[in-house]
Amino acid sequence: MSMIELTVNQRAVQAVAEPRTNLADFVRDKLDLTGTHLGCEHGVCGACTVLLDGVPARSCITYAVACEGAEVTTIEGLDEDAVTSELRAAFTREHALQCGYCTPGMLVSARDLVLRLPEADERAIRVGLSGNLCRCTGYVGIVRAVQSVIEARRARDIAPEPGGERKILGPVGSGRTVRTGADKAERISPASSKQASTEALSSVDAFPDFTPAAVLTQQFSVAHSPEQVFAMFGDIAAVASCLPGASLTAPPNPERVEGAIRVRLGPIAATFSGLARVERNAADMSGRIVGIGNDQRSRSSTQGEIRYRLVPIEQGAATRVDLSIGYTLTGMLAQVGRPGLVRDLAARLIAEFAANLDRRLSGTSPAAPADLSGMSLVSGLLRARITRWFTRFSSRKDGAA
Amino acid sequence: MKPAPFGYERPRDLQAALAVLAEADASVKIIAGGQSLGPMLNLRLVEPELLIDIAGLAELKQVERQGDELVLGACVTHADIEDGRIPDVTRGAMQGVAGNIAYRAVRNRGTIGGSLSHADPAADWVSALSALGAKLTLRSLAGSRIVAMEDFIVGALESALRAGEIVKTVHVPAMPASAHWGYVKSCRKTGEFAHAIGAVMIDPSAATARIVIGAIDSAPIVMTDAAELFGGRVAGDYKDRFDSRVAEAILARAGVSDAAHRHIHVNVLKRAVREAAA
Amino acid sequence: MRNERDFPSADGAGAGQGVGARLPRKEDDRLMRGRGQFVADIRLAGMQDVAFVRSPLAHARIRAIEVPERYRASVFTAADLAGVRPIRAVSGLPGFKISEQPVLATGKVRQVGELVAMCVAPTRAEAEDIAATVTLDLEELPAVHDMRKAREPGSALVHEEWGDNVFLETNFEVDISRAFDAPIKVSREISTARQCMSPLEGRGVVATFDHRLDQLTLYSAAQMPHITRSGLSECLGMEQGRIRVVSPDVGGGFGHKGILLPEEVCLSWLTMRRGHPVRWTEDRREHLTASSNCREHHYRITVYADRDGRLRGIDCEATVDSGAYSSYPFSACLEAAQVASILPGPYLMPAYRCRTFSVATNKCPILPYRGVARTGVCFALELILDLVAAEAGLEPGEVRLRNLVRPEQMPFDNITKKHFDSGDYPEAMRRALASIDIGGVRARQRKGEIDGRRIGVGVSIYCEQAAHGTSVYSGWGIPMVPGHEQASARLTPDGGLELRVGVHSHGQGMETTLAQVAHEMLGVDVAKVRLILGDTAMTPYSTGTWGSRSMVMAGGAVATACRELGERARHIGAKLLQHDPAVVVLQDGAVRGFNGSVTLKEIAHTWYRRPQDLPTGVDPGGLEVTSGYKPQRDSGTFSYAAHAAVVAVDPDLGEVEILDYVIVEDGGVLVNPMVVDGQIYGGLAQGIGTALYEEMPFDAAGQPLATTLADYLLPGPTEVPAPRLDHMETPSPYTQFGVKGIGEGGAIAPPAAIANAVNDALRPLGVELMQSPITPYRVVEAILARSDAERPVA
Repeated sequence: MSMIELTVNQRAVQAVAEPRTNLADFVRDKLDLTGTHLGCEHGVCGACTVLLDGVPARSCITYAVACEGAEVTTIEGLDEDAVTSELRAAFTREHALQCGYCTPGMLVSARDLVLRLPEADERAIRVGLSGNLCRCTGYVGIVRAVQSVIEARRARDIAPEPGGERKILGPVGSGRTVRTGADKAERISPASSKQASTEALSSVDAFPDFTPAAVLTQQFSVAHSPEQVFAMFGDIAAVASCLPGASLTAPPNPERVEGAIRVRLGPIAATFSGLARVERNAADMSGRIVGIGNDQRSRSSTQGEIRYRLVPIEQGAATRVDLSIGYTLTGMLAQVGRPGLVRDLAARLIAEFAANLDRRLSGTSPAAPADLSGMSLVSGLLRARITRWFTRFSSRKDGAA
Repeated sequence: MKPAPFGYERPRDLQAALAVLAEADASVKIIAGGQSLGPMLNLRLVEPELLIDIAGLAELKQVERQGDELVLGACVTHADIEDGRIPDVTRGAMQGVAGNIAYRAVRNRGTIGGSLSHADPAADWVSALSALGAKLTLRSLAGSRIVAMEDFIVGALESALRAGEIVKTVHVPAMPASAHWGYVKSCRKTGEFAHAIGAVMIDPSAATARIVIGAIDSAPIVMTDAAELFGGRVAGDYKDRFDSRVAEAILARAGVSDAAHRHIHVNVLKRAVREAAA
Repeated sequence: MRNERDFPSADGAGAGQGVGARLPRKEDDRLMRGRGQFVADIRLAGMQDVAFVRSPLAHARIRAIEVPERYRASVFTAADLAGVRPIRAVSGLPGFKISEQPVLATGKVRQVGELVAMCVAPTRAEAEDIAATVTLDLEELPAVHDMRKAREPGSALVHEEWGDNVFLETNFEVDISRAFDAPIKVSREISTARQCMSPLEGRGVVATFDHRLDQLTLYSAAQMPHITRSGLSECLGMEQGRIRVVSPDVGGGFGHKGILLPEEVCLSWLTMRRGHPVRWTEDRREHLTASSNCREHHYRITVYADRDGRLRGIDCEATVDSGAYSSYPFSACLEAAQVASILPGPYLMPAYRCRTFSVATNKCPILPYRGVARTGVCFALELILDLVAAEAGLEPGEVRLRNLVRPEQMPFDNITKKHFDSGDYPEAMRRALASIDIGGVRARQRKGEIDGRRIGVGVSIYCEQAAHGTSVYSGWGIPMVPGHEQASARLTPDGGLELRVGVHSHGQGMETTLAQVAHEMLGVDVAKVRLILGDTAMTPYSTGTWGSRSMVMAGGAVATACRELGERARHIGAKLLQHDPAVVVLQDGAVRGFNGSVTLKEIAHTWYRRPQDLPTGVDPGGLEVTSGYKPQRDSGTFSYAAHAAVVAVDPDLGEVEILDYVIVEDGGVLVNPMVVDGQIYGGLAQGIGTALYEEMPFDAAGQPLATTLADYLLPGPTEVPAPRLDHMETPSPYTQFGVKGIGEGGAIAPPAAIANAVNDALRPLGVELMQSPITPYRVVEAILARSDAERPVA
C-alpha cells in the first residue's frame, strides 16, 4: 500500500492504494467516480478511457501508482467542459448512445478527436474512434455527432490542435512526481507473501493416452552406432539434462520419472510439475517418453510426448535420430497464449533439445540447463545450426484463423 | 481480473534502475507505458514481484540527431512520433507507422522501447525498424552494447535482452533520398495486431533492398540484401521484377507451413513493394 | 394507417411527443455525465467482493478441492451449499432430457469456466488472490467439443445418465415426398460459428439481506428480474416474497442477461451466510470463456425448386450445439426447436421437413441471442436460395420475389402454422433491389476493378415473430410462459405521471418511448412522466424484456392503464366542470367541456389534497390504475426486412469491405423512429460481427481459444458502414397502435446478405463460403482449394 497523490478533476487527491490498483479502480473505488467503466481490463474496448495530462489514456492498464502527480480528468470532470457539452448535445440529438456503458469513454475519445482533427472527415473520425467499442449503436449516431461538432467548431474558426495539448515526450501521466524527495526511490513490498509453492501433481496413476494437438518433427545424425545412441536414450537423467528447463524431482526408475519443466514465453513463466513414463522398444530402436504436468499458478496442464526412432546410416557406424515432440495444452495458458506463439516456443524447445542431444552424443556437454526461453541461451554457432533445422519443422497445421 | 500483488519502484535515474534490476531476481519486470505488460498483468499471466517503472526517466525520453542517425530514447511514445514531436530522418516513414499502431489512447502511453522489448512478432516497430536498418543500444550495469534490429528479435516474445539489460535507445539511420519505403499490414480490423506485415526499404540507385516479412509466429524474416526477391538484381524496375514464388519459398523455409497464411504474407509483401514503387 | 380508435388524442395538441415522434431520450443525460448506475457502481456498507475458482478443463471428474487452512472461512464449495438446489430448466417437449446445473460444481465439471469454488474478500483483487491458492485435483475426461461427433455412438458423454448427448430431437414433416421430383435440387452443409454476445457491461450481481423486511435483495444486470426471482426462489427454497430483484442501469443485454445465473444463486446464499453485502462483476475473460454462448448451428439442407425458381420444398437436418446445461428459463431446446418452426422463412413453401438435434457438449450453455435461431436460419436458407437462383439462371432477388408471401395473402398461415399478421414482403425486396442498384452493380462487375478486387452483391430477407405470447410459449413447457403484461399508472399530487412496468430497458430507451405512449393517451408532458422498471418490489410481474416484446406488450399495457386512468380523471373532471361525463373529453392533458377545462394537475390536486371537493360517487380507485394487456392475437407480430449489400473481396488478402448496405424495414407503427433506427443500426453491427468477425473457437480438448477482445473481434467504427435505411409502416392488425417488435431484426439478415455478396463476388472463381464468419483466412483458403482442384494432376 502506498499513498498516491494526484489531481483528479482539478482537485488534489490523496489515497492509499496497492501498486496493482489500476487507475480506473482507483477513481471508482477510492473516489467514488463511477462514471469510468471497465469493459475488458486489457486495453481494447475503450470504456475506461480518461484524460491523463489532458489526452486520452486507458485507465485499466495504467496503474494509479504510476500516475503520481498527474492530472486525471474523468467524465465527471467534463460536466462543464465546453467541447464535451457540445458533444453531449450532439450525442443526444443523433441518438449516439443506447445502454450508455461505453459512452463516458467514447466522449473522452470524441473530445480528443474534435480538438485534433482538421476537418470532419468521416473516415478519419471512424479510425480515430476505433479504440472505443460500442455494442449498441452501430456507431452511426456517434460518427454523425462527432462530425457535426467538428463542422460547427471549424465553422466558428476554432482551429484544430494536431498534437492535442501535449508538448513533452514520453508516456502521458508518468514522470510528473511532484512530492518533495521525488528522486527518492520508493519500494513497496507486495501486499501478501508469495502463495504456497506449487504442488506436485497429486497422483497420476494411469496415463490417459492422448492425441497431441500439435506435433513437431526433427531429424539429425550422429557419428555413433544406433546401439550407443539407444543406450543413451535409456539414461533418463541424461535425456532430461538435454531438455531445456527440465529437472528431475526424484531419482528416476527405468519406467517412471518425476520431474518438472520450466518454460517461458516472453514474460509468461510456467513450471509444469508431473510425471513421465518411459517406453522403449529395442527391436526397432524406438521409444517414447510421455508425460503429464500441471502448472498450479496458471491452472494449466500439458501432456506431451517425445518419440524417437533410431535409423542406422553409414553401415551402422552412425545413426539418424528421428524425433517428434507432440503436446496438448489445457487451462489458462492454452486459452490465452496465441497458439502460433506457443508453437514457436515448442519449435525452439525441440531445436535445443536436439542440439543438446547431438552435443551430448558427440561428447560435449549440453548447454547449461536453464529455462527454455529461446535462443538467447544458445551460442552463436548453435544458433546458426538451429536456424537451418527450423526449415525442416512442420507442425500439423498453422492453425486456422 | 486484477493483477497478483506486485511491488513497485520508481528509480530516480537510469543508473539506479539498472542497479535495482541487477540485484533483483528473475521475477522483476521493467514497465514503461505498460500497454503490453498491463493486459498480461491484469490477466495474471505475468506475476512479477517487482515492477521497475522507467517511464519517468528523463534519459530515456531524449531525442537527438547524431550525424546521420536519429537517436530516440526508449520511452518516446508512438504518439510522440505520430504527432511529429520528434525530428524525423525517415521521410515520414516512422510517422506513418506510429499513427497506425493500436489506438490513440494506447499510443499516448505505449513506448517504442517497450514495444521492442516485448518482442511480439506482430508488433509494428519490430518489422518497421528492421526494415529501416535501426540498431538498439542495450544497457546494463556492465555497460552498453549495440545490437542490430535483425539480431534483436529471436523468437516469439523473445529478444536478445540479457538479464539486467534494458533497451536504452533506438538508432534510426537517415533514409537516403533515393530510397523507397513501403509498409503494409493486414489486420482484420483497425488497431488490431497484424496478421501479416510487409516492410520494405528499397534503394534502386544503390541496388539495395531491405525486406521484412513480419507477423509470422516467430521472429520476422529480415532480408538485408533481398536481391533474390527481384531476380537477383535490385533496379528501378524492381516492382515488376518482384518474384512471389521466391517469397513463398522463403516463408515455407521459415516454417510457415499453411498455404493460406503464406499466400496472405506474400501478397502483403507484394503490396509493400508496390507502395514503395508508387 | 393507425387504428384511430386507439388514439384519444391522436395528432392533437401535444403532438411532437406522442407515438411517432423522434423524441430525444430522457435517459441520455445521466449516462453522458457518468451518472448512470450500473451494478458495479452500487456501494453498500460492508460490501465484499467475490471471485470464483473456475474449471480450467472442459470435462473432468473432481477428485479433490484443496483450500489452504488460512482461507477456510473465505472459500465455499458445493459441499457448503447445503439445501441449495441445482438450476433446472425443463422443457415439456416430448423426449427432452433434463440436465441439472449445480451452482457450484459437484462430482464433475462439464465446461471450462464452470464454477467450482467461491472466494470472498474485501476487494476483487484479494478475492482473486485467495482463488489462486485453491488447488483443484481434476481427472480429465475426454471432452465433447464437436456437436456432430457428439451424436455418434461411442462419444464421451456430458451427462452419463442420458446414454447419449442429445437434449432433444424434433421432427417436423409436411408433404416432403411431393418435392422430390423437382427439377432443381441443391444440397449444402452450412454452419454458423459459436459466438459470445458481448455487451460492453458483463453480468454483475450485488446481494444483500434486509432483516427489517426479512428480504434478500439482489441487484443484478438482468433483462427479466421477475423471472430471476422465480428461479432464485426455486434454487434457494425461499418464498418469492422474501426475495427482491432489482436491475439497475444495464449496459446492454442482447439475451446474455436473460438467464438465471449460478452466480446469482451463489451470491444470494453467501450474503445470508456471511451477513454482509457481496458483489461479483463478470469480467471480460469470464464473459468470453465461462458464460453463455450463442449461434452455433449446423445445417444439412436440401432445397427443391422448379425451373422457374419457384420453391417446391426444403428438407433439412439442423444441429445446434446447446452446450453443457439447460439454462433457466429458456432451456436447451428453444433454439433448435425454433429452427424447425421458422426455417421456411417468409416464403410460400408447399413441402417441408426438418429434423433438429439439440446436442449437449462440454461448452458454455447456448442462449438465445438477438434474433435467436433466426440469424442461423436466415443464413442457411438465404445462402441456398442464391444457389437455386444460379441453377435457375435468375437474379437472386427475382427468386425471392417469386416465392415471398404476397400482401393480398395476409394474414397468412404458413406451413409451420406461423400466423404472418400483415405486410408487403415483395415490396420490401423490390425497394431494396432498386436502392442497391442491382443493374449498376452488374455493370460494374462486367468492367472489373482496377485494384483487382471482386465486387459482389447479395440480398436477404426475413420475417420475425416478436412478442409471441401464451399460445406459443405454453407449447414449449419451459419455466416461463408470458400471459398478460401489466402496467401501473399513477398521477402524482402535482400532476406528474408515474409508470411502473416489469420489463426492463438496457439501451432500448423505454424511459422515453413508454413515456411517449403515456403522452399519447393522457397528454402529460413527457418530461413529467417517470418510468419505474426493473424492480420486483416496485413493478407488476412480467417475464421481462426478451423476444422483441417490450414495446408491443408493455407499450400496450401502459396504454391500457393510461386509458383507464384517463377515464377516471375524465369523470372527476366532468364533475368538477359540472358536466355530464359523456360530453367531456380528455385532450392535451386536460378535461375539456363546452365552456371550460380542468387540467390533470388540478384533478390530481383535488383527488389527493382536496378530497372534500370531490363529488359523491367518485371512483374510489382514484388516480392509480394497474391494468393488463394482451394483443387481440398473441401469436406474435411479424416485422420483416430486406437487406442488400455490396462488397468488395480482395482475393489476395481475403479481406471483405462492405461498400454499400441497404435495409428496407417494416416494424409496423413506430413509437419513436429515432430509437427504431438505432435498434436497426446496432443490430446490423452485430450482424456484421456474425458475418465477418466473431467466433469463439475451441480446441479438441474443449478449451476456448478467444479469451480477450484482441482475439474475439467485435466490430468497431471502421468495420461497420452507415447503412441506408428505408421504413415501411404496415400496422399490425392485432396490437395497440399497430406496433410490432423490432429489437432483434437488425441482427438477423446481415450475415446472409454479406455472405451472398461475397459468394456473388467469388462465383466466377468457382468459390463459395458456407460458414460464418467469413474471415480473410477462410476466403484465401477457399480460393486456394479451388485453384488446387483445378490444377491438372501431374
